[in-house]
Amino acid sequence: MRIYEDLRSLQSRLAVIKTVVVGALALVVVYFWHLQVVRGKYFRELAENNRIRSVPIPAPRGPIFDRNGRVLVENRSSFNVVLTAEPHTNLDDDLGRVGRLIEVDEDQVRERIEGQGPRFKSVVVKADASEEDVAVVESRRLEEPEVGVEVVPLRAYPLATEAAHVLGRVGEITDRQLAAAPFAGIEPGTVVGQAGIELQYNRALMGKDGVRRVIVNSRGVEVAEAQQEPPVPGPPATLTIDVELQRAMDEAMGGRPGGAVALDPQTGEILALTSNTAYDPNLFSSSISPAVWQGLIKDPETPLMNRVIQGQYAPGSSFKVVMALAALDSGVITPNTMFHCPGYLNIYGKTFLCHKQEGHGTLNMIHALAQSCNVYFYNVGVRLEIERISKYANLLGLNAPSGIDLPYEASGLIPSPAWKQRTQKVQWFPGETVSVSIGQGGVTVTAIQMARLAAAIGNGGRLVQPHLIKTLKGSPVEFKAPVDLGLKPSTIAAVKQGMAAVVAPGGTGWRAQLPGIPVAGKTGSAQVVTHARLETDKKSHQYQPHGWFMCFAPIDNPRIAMAVMVEHGTAGGQSAAPIAGQILAHFFGVPPTPVMINPPPTPELPAKRAPAPVPPPRPAE
Amino acid sequence: MAIDRRLLFNIDWGMMAAVLLLLGIGVATILSATYSGRNSGLEVKQVYWILIGLVALLVCVSIDYRRLVDHAPLLYLASVGVLAYVLFLGPRIAGTRRWLAMGPVQLQPSEFVKLAAALFVAKIFAESKKDSLGIRDILGPGAAVGVLAALIAAEPDLGTAFTLVPLFVVGAVLAGLRLKAVLVLLAVGIVVGGLGWEFVLKDYQKSRIYTFLDPSLDPRGAGYQKIQSEIAVGSGGLAGKGYKKGTQAQLGYLPARHTDFIFSVLAEENGFVGVVVVLGLYLFILWRAMDTAQMARDRVGAFLAAGVAAVLAFQVVYNIAMVAGLVPVKGLPLPLMSYGGSSIISSLLAVGLILNVRMRRFAN
Repeated sequence: MRIYEDLRSLQSRLAVIKTVVVGALALVVVYFWHLQVVRGKYFRELAENNRIRSVPIPAPRGPIFDRNGRVLVENRSSFNVVLTAEPHTNLDDDLGRVGRLIEVDEDQVRERIEGQGPRFKSVVVKADASEEDVAVVESRRLEEPEVGVEVVPLRAYPLATEAAHVLGRVGEITDRQLAAAPFAGIEPGTVVGQAGIELQYNRALMGKDGVRRVIVNSRGVEVAEAQQEPPVPGPPATLTIDVELQRAMDEAMGGRPGGAVALDPQTGEILALTSNTAYDPNLFSSSISPAVWQGLIKDPETPLMNRVIQGQYAPGSSFKVVMALAALDSGVITPNTMFHCPGYLNIYGKTFLCHKQEGHGTLNMIHALAQSCNVYFYNVGVRLEIERISKYANLLGLNAPSGIDLPYEASGLIPSPAWKQRTQKVQWFPGETVSVSIGQGGVTVTAIQMARLAAAIGNGGRLVQPHLIKTLKGSPVEFKAPVDLGLKPSTIAAVKQGMAAVVAPGGTGWRAQLPGIPVAGKTGSAQVVTHARLETDKKSHQYQPHGWFMCFAPIDNPRIAMAVMVEHGTAGGQSAAPIAGQILAHFFGVPPTPVMINPPPTPELPAKRAPAPVPPPRPAE
Repeated sequence: MAIDRRLLFNIDWGMMAAVLLLLGIGVATILSATYSGRNSGLEVKQVYWILIGLVALLVCVSIDYRRLVDHAPLLYLASVGVLAYVLFLGPRIAGTRRWLAMGPVQLQPSEFVKLAAALFVAKIFAESKKDSLGIRDILGPGAAVGVLAALIAAEPDLGTAFTLVPLFVVGAVLAGLRLKAVLVLLAVGIVVGGLGWEFVLKDYQKSRIYTFLDPSLDPRGAGYQKIQSEIAVGSGGLAGKGYKKGTQAQLGYLPARHTDFIFSVLAEENGFVGVVVVLGLYLFILWRAMDTAQMARDRVGAFLAAGVAAVLAFQVVYNIAMVAGLVPVKGLPLPLMSYGGSSIISSLLAVGLILNVRMRRFAN
């Protein structure tokens, strides 16, 4: 009886427990319905995101050709060793395993990972790996599935240092570029132009990256490919450069620090451009090592600087061309106006020297140009006055970027009273005009400006826009048409005559003459220190003046205009003119003048001693 | 110990069929979860464990459950001894001391202690002659079971330790624990829990709980298993991605996918349909187990069957809720399906105990 009742109360309690168990299971089933059926689509997407990775396939940038279709820049296939493991919780271990296969710069890899954020796809442990490294990695694919090899197009510059400053270089997009408008929408890690044409026409040269959608496992290792969108290579570009002339220019420069640029005086097309010291842009194509980078940045010869467009130097006597144009055009002188040169000019309480101590005697404008007489142009300057000099210099394209299609062009400087008042809050001294008259006294120019000036004289007074690009994406690129400066034809003719005399026998630029081709030019020697200082240490290279030569040829209907600047090259007639002559000889296909035969007939260096007790003028900074 | 041949007729073949079906689904799922990885071949080992488990089941049913319950105090002492041995002298594997090495095989004693505890709880409460129990009446038994739970929890194996709670509660409730006492226990539990949160739990333990509540706080760490399992289950949808085609399982996103998270693989590859089929089989087994308790010929049988059913039910519900991300991740295998010798043998022994009670319901 007792047992019976007992079991009956058990029955009801068991029924309660049964209900609890069935209820719990029912709740679980309802929840699974919710997860799998109601929210199934959401979770399916999450699962897809888990397993599908988008791996970009970098598109090769467009190749670059010279005006005759010869290759300047191309692409080569390069192999990167990559580590695809994620999450990188045990990086030391991973790197250690890679390190046993190939040599790895661990610090660099760590830096790259830090830059990538928490959820990255893969990290390059060795860029542009050697064939041996690739073979080792491939052979260990099964044991080390996280270590792989990817093929990326790498920028190749077959000319190496030649035309390096024209072509520029590429590199991974920098943080500053990422924030800048021209690079909007470009993904971090993308290779973009960092200098030269590569930077200037970055967008046009870039292709469209493709993408590979791959299936990865939980370690991030690729197990299969789901889909592929192939990359679209960048379109080709053609430059106005002529590779042959470029090579001749590089050879003529012989690696001396300085710059040279040759252009078509009718169109502004740049035929060759050299800046020394140069660098090899191939160094930057793969990731450049910090040591090499630091070396380039800290090199006192500033190899990364394009001296032709960024180097601002005093033009020295080559500025006399501007003076002659201004004075003739404004009627201050005629070509036959005579001034007497006793070797110096005393004016405004100072003595200004000519480079010829005993003086040039009495001479006209043509001879003054040919022999680069300082005293003649002191007189011209005093009559022109600074405002008019400045006006004409600006008209002729100085004091402003030439507009060449290269980034970071400098503008040079033509001082004026207004400029001096604005920047230094002091008045203009008339004596400064005298210094400006011979291209000193704060005047600075770039080689591209001087070449453009030479072109303007050669083509009869039209200012061209220098440019490097000929075609982009298969169609010609239009530039601003040459601007007529409105100079009198007689002015141009007279200056041409003077410049022809410069290159003729007895002129300062005689070393640039060519057999059968009339050349017009102007030499210049830009002082970098005072006469007195040069006197104290004549041998010191860094005190030597910069040598200039600007020219065009043939005189009547010129096909080439050029500026050559040799840093610390001493007199332009000795240093720059023979270089120009060699380049011109190549251009016209004639033998170059034997430059070393005769001693210089007209030394253009400043006089050794002042004939008067008054101290010589100090060129402005 | 010959079995009365008539008893065989009374074996619950329906329940046995459901058990074998689950074992088969388990083996197939283990194969799918492991065949491509470095754990391939585990399904064969699992079959061996099942065969050993079935022998153990046979041995279990051949001994009258009343004799087993009679030996419960001895089994209890043996359990304490083995757990203490494992805890202090056993090998340390993956930061825990759960294992008993016996030659090449390693066993988890806690899996078997659960069954010893079921026998022990059945004996204590079945012998209680009171109509209703108060708090004071369950203090002794509670302390005894608490010792086992504490030893297992110290391994640490909180999941298995916690299975003793429903076992004990079911025993106490069946023995007549008053509703008032249940409420008092509940209140004490809340207070102790609250104080424990405030003063006992360390920050890293709290952060784990926070992570459970919001796994995105630490998607690569503690929340990883929960997130990935939830994705696996949810992405299975209604019909599943197909056998051996679960992306989460096959690409290694699911941790412990052949052991504690086996149900996640099943849910991903077979979808809601597969989930309902398997849960239906579990419900059938548990229903029959509780039926057995109701039709048992004596109190001991009823308590034993109900206790074992409570252990199984708790493990099934907790494991599946864990896989769905409903409860914190604790190392608790799914009975009859998860890979593992101890778990399989122990679940088959549990089934054996229920069959044992049922087949002897008419005997004297």
